[in-house]
Amino acid sequence: MKTRIALLGQPNSGKSTVFNALTGSRQHVGNWPGKTVEKCDGYYSYDGVRYTVTDLPGSYGLTGNSDEELITADFIKTGQADLTCILVDASQLERSMYMVAEFASMGAPAVLILNMMDVAKSQGKSIDAKLLEKRLGIPVLPFVAAEKGGYDELKALLAKELQSPHMLSSAPAGSGEGGVLAENSAKFEWVGRMLEGVSSARSSGYRLSKLDRLVLKPVTGKFVCVGIILLAFLVAMVICIPFMSIGSMIPMVLHGPVESLLSGLGVHKWLVSIFSSMLPNVLYFSVSMAAFVFGVNLVFGYLEEVGFLARAAYQFDGMLSGLGLQGKAIAPILMGFGCTIGGTCGTRVMDNWGQRMLAMAVVWAVPCGSIWAMVPVVSGMFFSPAGTLLVCVAVLAYMVLLMTIVSKVFGKKLAPAESRSGLIMELPPYHKAHWKHIIKEAFVKAYGIFKRALGTVTLVSLFFWALSFSSTGDIAGSLLYRIGTAIEPVTRIFGLGWRTFMAFLTAGFAKEAVLGVLNAIFTGQGSIMDMTFKTGAVTVDNSMLGVLMTQTISKAEALAFIFASTFSVPCVMALSTTYRESHSLKWTARIAGFYIGCALILAGIVYHLASLFL
Amino acid sequence: MKLAEAKADTNALIKRIDGDAHFKSRITAIGVTEDIPVQIVKNDRKMPVLIFCRETLIALDRADAGKIEVAEI
Repeated sequence: MKTRIALLGQPNSGKSTVFNALTGSRQHVGNWPGKTVEKCDGYYSYDGVRYTVTDLPGSYGLTGNSDEELITADFIKTGQADLTCILVDASQLERSMYMVAEFASMGAPAVLILNMMDVAKSQGKSIDAKLLEKRLGIPVLPFVAAEKGGYDELKALLAKELQSPHMLSSAPAGSGEGGVLAENSAKFEWVGRMLEGVSSARSSGYRLSKLDRLVLKPVTGKFVCVGIILLAFLVAMVICIPFMSIGSMIPMVLHGPVESLLSGLGVHKWLVSIFSSMLPNVLYFSVSMAAFVFGVNLVFGYLEEVGFLARAAYQFDGMLSGLGLQGKAIAPILMGFGCTIGGTCGTRVMDNWGQRMLAMAVVWAVPCGSIWAMVPVVSGMFFSPAGTLLVCVAVLAYMVLLMTIVSKVFGKKLAPAESRSGLIMELPPYHKAHWKHIIKEAFVKAYGIFKRALGTVTLVSLFFWALSFSSTGDIAGSLLYRIGTAIEPVTRIFGLGWRTFMAFLTAGFAKEAVLGVLNAIFTGQGSIMDMTFKTGAVTVDNSMLGVLMTQTISKAEALAFIFASTFSVPCVMALSTTYRESHSLKWTARIAGFYIGCALILAGIVYHLASLFL
Repeated sequence: MKLAEAKADTNALIKRIDGDAHFKSRITAIGVTEDIPVQIVKNDRKMPVLIFCRETLIALDRADAGKIEVAEI
């Protein structure tokens, strides 16, 4: 029995919406064999039959302009799908029917979905689906992907077509030797013939809406875009803060009872520590991560669906193309100032895997909110307010430099020069948002991240726990201390003594724990582990810490530490999100290694330079 | 005249598309083919050119817009 369905459509055709609505959370995301292009498979049941759905990568055609197009064409040609479901945008029918013209040469069974009928209608366009169906020889279904109502009809149609499939009865004439220009002209001529009398009320001219006249202005528009993205980020924070606060209570609530229960049972203190300190914290991290992913996907899903992100991409394309990135990357980069996890998730709007991975690598360079809380405090202990301001400005300046370096180093591989082409992008009409759909999609993503985060964070936490565990509760009893003091001669080259180096290492675990860890190290009160794993429950006396730090380390070392911990890898949650989002352990590790190396070299330069002047 | 030099709020006919095969393939796949009319919606200095063509608003890199020869209509 034939049950394999493929979804084919151009970017913005609503393909992913249909895929998610059909399969819900019954999805598997991986890579196409040997490629770094994301492969999404899923399944659904209808009338007792299980159907598999493959979401083919979004591309404008099938001619082989990119990995995405090659994969898609190959998938259809080799008959890996029993039925291809082609999605076109009914509000831009003529242009998006190009995909059907491309598909015609494949000689495979298909159905055509006219998506966004609501938008077409609102533009005063009417489409004669029956006439189109007669001309093409395959079923044509008017549809609104973001509304639940039509899916039963779609599933019924797919089931019927899998039993008795139809193929396109007409195809564009091959031009032979005319080259790509003539061939594509011929395809659009064919589209024109197919649509004659099918679609009515073509608009005579285009007028920019009031909003677009503002958003697309060369200078003012950039400020408006940045403002909107920052506002969206704030909204995302407001959405996720309640979940995060509930999550942050998990370690506090569980720690005491679990500890006394297990101790009472005579369990070994190592296990007690794992179950009472580490695991509740893993749960907290995972909940926070999921909450963040939920908030970010919600607002970004909204901004993308209404058509705003395309405008932001138009505004910042020139600026970001210098980094080898598409204009769309502006949104994740700005979000990185709040949280690297948010920025990493935000790269989902990028067109292909290489662009996504590069955008994630660049986002890592942006100091997150927790770092912006740490930098002024630590530099304030050593420098005057003016000096502290100077440090913050230097951090920003180095951020721009690091973004450039990262894009130069990794851009060659991830976004090769030949694939870097100028912006050719459609600006979709502003849509109304379909909230139900956006919320559901954000929830599915958040739940997916939560499930997978539990595993990754547990693993990394265990490793860090083993390093920082001390049977005496004193720092000197931990492996981290022994390693730190043993390699101090080496870390000194980078300007870091064992204390600052240990704090640098823990910064890679959780940035918000840095102050707590510094406190544990310099005051000798509380273990590093408690400080790192129970960030919410610890209060740090900054003035006391300041006195101790200034007595123990030099200004140059403090400066080296600030730069090293700011520009090292982001926290473990951001690392694991990057891995989850990119599906590439190799690239995540490679970029992480690069960041750690760069941070240490930077610390060395800062230390030795500062030693000359301070 | 090149598309990059066309004035905003005018209409033009695409006469010729130059550039490499990759560019030609991409630009025609999005619907900008030879001998079709386009409306130039916005053309600001140092910004991509905005054109309206086949019911679609398209942003086009300035350098790429210099590879497209148009005639005012």
